[in-house]
Amino acid sequence: MTIYLRSGGKLKAHLKPDVDQYTRRLVVDGNPTLREILDDLGIPHAYVAFAFAGGTFRRLDYRPSDGETITLQPPVSGG
Amino acid sequence: MRGLMSSVYERQLPMTGWGENGQNRLASSTVFVAGLGGLGCPAAVYLSLAGVGRIVACDADDIEQSNLNRQFLYRVTDIGRRKAAIAAERLREMNPRVEVISVDVELDRENAAELVSGADVVLDCLDNLETKIALSRACMDAGMPLIHAAVADLTGYLSFFDPPRTACLECFQTAKPAAVEPAIPGCTAGALGSLQAMEALKHLLGLGEVLAGRLLIMEGMPPSFDVVALEKDPDCPACGG
Repeated sequence: MTIYLRSGGKLKAHLKPDVDQYTRRLVVDGNPTLREILDDLGIPHAYVAFAFAGGTFRRLDYRPSDGETITLQPPVSGG
Repeated sequence: MRGLMSSVYERQLPMTGWGENGQNRLASSTVFVAGLGGLGCPAAVYLSLAGVGRIVACDADDIEQSNLNRQFLYRVTDIGRRKAAIAAERLREMNPRVEVISVDVELDRENAAELVSGADVVLDCLDNLETKIALSRACMDAGMPLIHAAVADLTGYLSFFDPPRTACLECFQTAKPAAVEPAIPGCTAGALGSLQAMEALKHLLGLGEVLAGRLLIMEGMPPSFDVVALEKDPDCPACGG
């Protein structure tokens, strides 16, 4: 299946976008979790605090469905 | 409410649900502002100008040169002075009707509950996850609503935590950000600090819905504001979902 991962900020450099400035298209086998997808991409889990898709918050155990766009968000705690 | 101060508030009183009753409600409210940096400066200023009766302003840092791109309560001539004292002084100048209590104490797991007691709502304007978690747990134990914000680069998060009704901080953010100090442009912190003040005012005035159970995500690149449903994490180490 095909999914789209999206991110801005510093995460973008690790994501290596190819669709537009912020989005990477991925063809994945099976029904992996976001955590497994990050592992395959070599992106440390610590770089991603959470994700969201279709207006819903998603943790790293989320399994994206075909055609879905997932936005990855970094851990942020500055003030 | 007569004279000068009535004129000061005349552009907010007409708002639906505000009025003199709302203004009086604000005047009898207490807000605890934890952290007087990039988030705390705008949040405290807008609460003070709105007429919140009592602001407890907590920070244990000195003013540094590197603060001045975003912490607009301070001046070059304030460098080396204490944030809590200077912030309180400036907030009182902006609105003499507001009682500002400066608390020059490093908030931690031991003292957080005592520091926030008596507040109607608490603002998390802190700059590190460890202290944010200490504050979040203290508010959760006390049943006190917490308006959380965090910023870095052009990214900002905002939510209204009131567990067990809602998720808590540790339901959504436990990954520790990189040890390096994050970049924080003043505009990012200013936007989120202002939104924290807005959530606090809405809560105190009973104006419609706050961001309870939802997370606002502001991104500067690409520009977007998203609000997503934030469910409790059944494995949360703090609230247990």
